[in-house]
Amino acid sequence: MSTPASLRNHRAWKTAGVLVPGLLLLSASPALADRLERHFKVEARPVVTIHNPTGTVVVRAWTKSEVMVVAKRATDRVEVDTEQNGNRVEVITRQISDNASPSDVRADFEISVPEDAELQIHNDSGGVNVTNVLGDMNVETIAADVNLEDAAGYLNVKTVDGSFVCLRCAGRIEAYSISGNFRFIDLRSYHVHAQTSEGNILYSGQFLPEGIYQFKNYSGIIEVRFSPADSFDLSATSLKGKVNNEAKLTPSSHRHFLPRFGNALFGTMNTGRAKVELSSFDGTINILKKD
Amino acid sequence: MGAIGCSEFLNRLEQWMEGERPADAEAHVRSCPNCRAVVSDLDAIHETALSMEGADAAPPERIWVSLRVQLEQEGLIRGHERNWVDALRNWIDGALSAVPRPALAGAYLVALIAFSVALAGPGYRKFSATQVTTGSLNAQLNTAERDTVSSMMSADPVVTASLQKNLAIVDNYIALCEKSVQEEPENEIARDYLYEAYRQKADLLAQMTEGGDDR
Repeated sequence: MSTPASLRNHRAWKTAGVLVPGLLLLSASPALADRLERHFKVEARPVVTIHNPTGTVVVRAWTKSEVMVVAKRATDRVEVDTEQNGNRVEVITRQISDNASPSDVRADFEISVPEDAELQIHNDSGGVNVTNVLGDMNVETIAADVNLEDAAGYLNVKTVDGSFVCLRCAGRIEAYSISGNFRFIDLRSYHVHAQTSEGNILYSGQFLPEGIYQFKNYSGIIEVRFSPADSFDLSATSLKGKVNNEAKLTPSSHRHFLPRFGNALFGTMNTGRAKVELSSFDGTINILKKD
Repeated sequence: MGAIGCSEFLNRLEQWMEGERPADAEAHVRSCPNCRAVVSDLDAIHETALSMEGADAAPPERIWVSLRVQLEQEGLIRGHERNWVDALRNWIDGALSAVPRPALAGAYLVALIAFSVALAGPGYRKFSATQVTTGSLNAQLNTAERDTVSSMMSADPVVTASLQKNLAIVDNYIALCEKSVQEEPENEIARDYLYEAYRQKADLLAQMTEGGDDR
């Protein structure tokens, strides 16, 4: 169930929000778009937490055993706190003026982390971009888009209507949204579970042996692209929509119960080493050859 | 010791959540996915509650009364089975007594969803005879929606607009799924999507409440 998890996360954010002001507390100043830079020495697998309601968060991996935070805040109506606690680094943006406009409380971050860092990012609006980080990640946004490149580990992404693009990712991926679109390109993941209500889902990556690939939506398009050598057992069901298939499937080696309602397709491509499950309420499901 | 059914297990739910695990109840949980789902969700809520501190809060009395009456009216429970609803309510009251109010709203809704979903599952069809309506759940969620939306104050209009737009999307899917379930009561897929939409709405309302608290 997602909500208890989100409650725990919420608690974590609240806890972070009441921490003693950290090593850095930007002083109130009339200057706009001021810049700060801070460095934190860390050990292996540090945990970096970023809570930034409005603005962009860009995280890149580098080879140093250090976390570098560069922040730009739009006005002095927002403050940026950073704190290191052991191998954890926390970055928090807080509004300090009641009558601030959204553009006043914007803060943009560029953060460099060791590649094995674990990231926890909360960003309501703006955007999240992460590149080359191999540790686990938990990203929650409302309207912000999320872009992960060359990520690995356990990747958990949750948006309300922000899109999610995962390029050359590996590991385990779970993604949830209501109206966000998902694009999974050149993946090497053994477990991908993606669920969006109104958004489209595109998967164009490898189907690893014993891998599980589950995509679900209410409406919109689910599109899976395959290569001739791919090996998977397929189940595709759209209750009110269509299922279009270009794969040469043989009768499934696994037992499936043919649903009494909707349009369903079951079958095995090559030896069926991976498992692909596609389901939609009234959307279209396309199983297409890669170009 | 003989096997027990869902009804008997639900009657003992409060004891179960307090740690009493007789062999017949354990055997039932192992064999019944619906009861296992209820227990799992309640465990998650309990765990969440333990990790939180502070404020005094409790689910409003009217919600429990309304819920029980509506479950009875809809044939989901009978009069003599209402004691497990009370037991569940007692347990949730206890588990959530230390949870701050914004978080409570979400946790409460999740609890509601948890056993409503379980009630709708095949294992509980005997309670519902020929129909499983979703009026009670919908009514509870609509009440929560009104409360949440009216109290929501976000500094960022983009965020507010996004949340409200997506709430409308989920409401639309709930309506579509309800229509499908009414037209085809035996359609398990439509039922699954319906309860998934309810769960999503509860999650979104909790997020809106929490977000309002943050901002």
